[in-house]
Amino acid sequence: MPGRLRKPTPLKNPDRPYIALGLEGSANKLGSGVIKHAEDGTTSVLSNIRHTYITPPGEGFQPRDTALHHREWALKVINDSLAKADVSIHDVDCICFTKGPGMGAPLQSVALVARTLSLLYGKPLVGVNHCVGHIEMGREITGASNPVVLYVSGGNTQVIAYSRQCYRIFGETLDIAVGNCLDRFARVINLSNDPSPGYNIEQGAKLIRGRRLIPLPYATKGMDISLSGILTSAESYTLDKRFRLDGQPRNAEDTDIITPADLCFSLQETVFAMLVEITERAMAHIGSKEVLIVGGVGCNERLQEMMGVMAEERGGRIFATDERFCIDNGIMIAQAGLLAYRMGQTTPLLKSSCTQRFRTDQVHVTWRA
Amino acid sequence: MASTQGPTNVLIAKSTLISQGAEAAKNAHETPLLIKHRFSKGYRHKTLDTNLTKARVAGEARALIRCLRAGVNVPGIRMVDATEGVLGIEWIEGTSVRKLLPGGAEEEEALDEVTEDLSEDEIDPLKEFGVSVDQLMHLIGTEIAKMHLVDVIHGDLTTSNMMLRRSPNNESDLVLIDFGLSYLSALVEDKAVDLYVLERAFASTHPDSEPMFQSVLDAYQNRMGKEWAAIKRRLDDVRLRGRKRSMVG
Repeated sequence: MPGRLRKPTPLKNPDRPYIALGLEGSANKLGSGVIKHAEDGTTSVLSNIRHTYITPPGEGFQPRDTALHHREWALKVINDSLAKADVSIHDVDCICFTKGPGMGAPLQSVALVARTLSLLYGKPLVGVNHCVGHIEMGREITGASNPVVLYVSGGNTQVIAYSRQCYRIFGETLDIAVGNCLDRFARVINLSNDPSPGYNIEQGAKLIRGRRLIPLPYATKGMDISLSGILTSAESYTLDKRFRLDGQPRNAEDTDIITPADLCFSLQETVFAMLVEITERAMAHIGSKEVLIVGGVGCNERLQEMMGVMAEERGGRIFATDERFCIDNGIMIAQAGLLAYRMGQTTPLLKSSCTQRFRTDQVHVTWRA
Repeated sequence: MASTQGPTNVLIAKSTLISQGAEAAKNAHETPLLIKHRFSKGYRHKTLDTNLTKARVAGEARALIRCLRAGVNVPGIRMVDATEGVLGIEWIEGTSVRKLLPGGAEEEEALDEVTEDLSEDEIDPLKEFGVSVDQLMHLIGTEIAKMHLVDVIHGDLTTSNMMLRRSPNNESDLVLIDFGLSYLSALVEDKAVDLYVLERAFASTHPDSEPMFQSVLDAYQNRMGKEWAAIKRRLDDVRLRGRKRSMVG
């Protein structure tokens, strides 16, 4: 039975050092990174530069303005990353870019830059799936060999496990992504978008940790979760007559109040409990002891803590990275792209279009056993 | 706390841990009894955890009783203690369906080199039970249909949550276990999602599972009768869910 065989990894150590440039711009972060795979099989991050498009409080980023931001900053960010890495563009083996998923306009602006560089310097292009980029970088940085992956960001929420040349999606959100849910709530209570709305929610929740859990729906459905109803429910609390936007009671008798911090806390506790639960179910089902958290929401310390407790209860381990690699970056695109390139995969110019719909399980993962 | 001396805790202390699923640790007791203990999840907020645990233990017991009355093969209930999160159920002497199917026995701990020639001389574990893969799929489909006919939704149908055992008259029967996420619903939607969860569990654990799952559906269809048409239609809808799917073609 072929399913029982576990082959050695098909990826051979390179015969010479390989260098890849990775460009990422699927959402409001523009990233450029240079990675090197040495002959002994080690990987080193030569540079990892990012510039984030930050909107005023209460506003999200529009595709058109985000694309404009990426176009304005592309050359500076790429030049910085090459200078920091101390390599010339002529030394690069391939140019990797995000093929999808993401917002259309920002994706296109970055793909255009990638194509131009490819033609100017005669370098092959490699189109990369954004989600696979996150997973490969997470595996590389943490050294987790075959973990269950929880990928949580502003645009994606998936529980993923590898099996037979494919990252299979065990569970996912049926409506909005968890980062989207948190960000939109942050906008409702007018939190700043700097450095990110989710970060400010986390800080808000820390203010009153454990004080009061406001009841919110708990919506797991099979292996999947649903988040939009929770957002609506949290939003409706801001219209409740007990809600105090400034977080202060009006007078001495005003004790039964709901503060923004209470809502931040309750929202985090509820949605993270759901995420940890579906991750745990995936771990139990496939019998894995390792869990890796990737994606922007993955730098939330409360989520890491909850996942850590769960893993410990099961005798397993948690792997997580910090904001350099969790939040969208160019280096992860370079890493996943270079793995594909070393297996002989490149993207011809005619096929170098990008797509907003590109699922994690559509990628043929040739570089893993 | 007085509760640590309660009869339920004495029972847990006397038992041995056999496995830890996503929801609960299972302890086998000296008299054949499976104690399912939903210990408090450290990661979850206390209030949320207490409410969920209570609701799920009670829900599991309720669903099991309903299934038992309707003659669905499920473990019998021996005791319920919802506040402690403990459920005592009949011990099923059998094998998990996941281990009986190709690909399912694969453990994550297996290292790259060790398993190389294992598959060659291994005997088909299904032989022991005297059923073919197709018959097994038929049993699965029928049991699920029987359960859905009394409006019980399992909520976590995977091949790990089914067991094959030898019944007294020397035939093999399939037992559905682990009703921890089950609930009652007559909605077509919920039944279709239940099937979809199983379909994905098949696809992710067992290679080339499409024909297998199809025969599960065939048996299910036979048993469900006229309800099938609506469920089938909804199942096709459910399969299209999830984000970022290509909408072309």
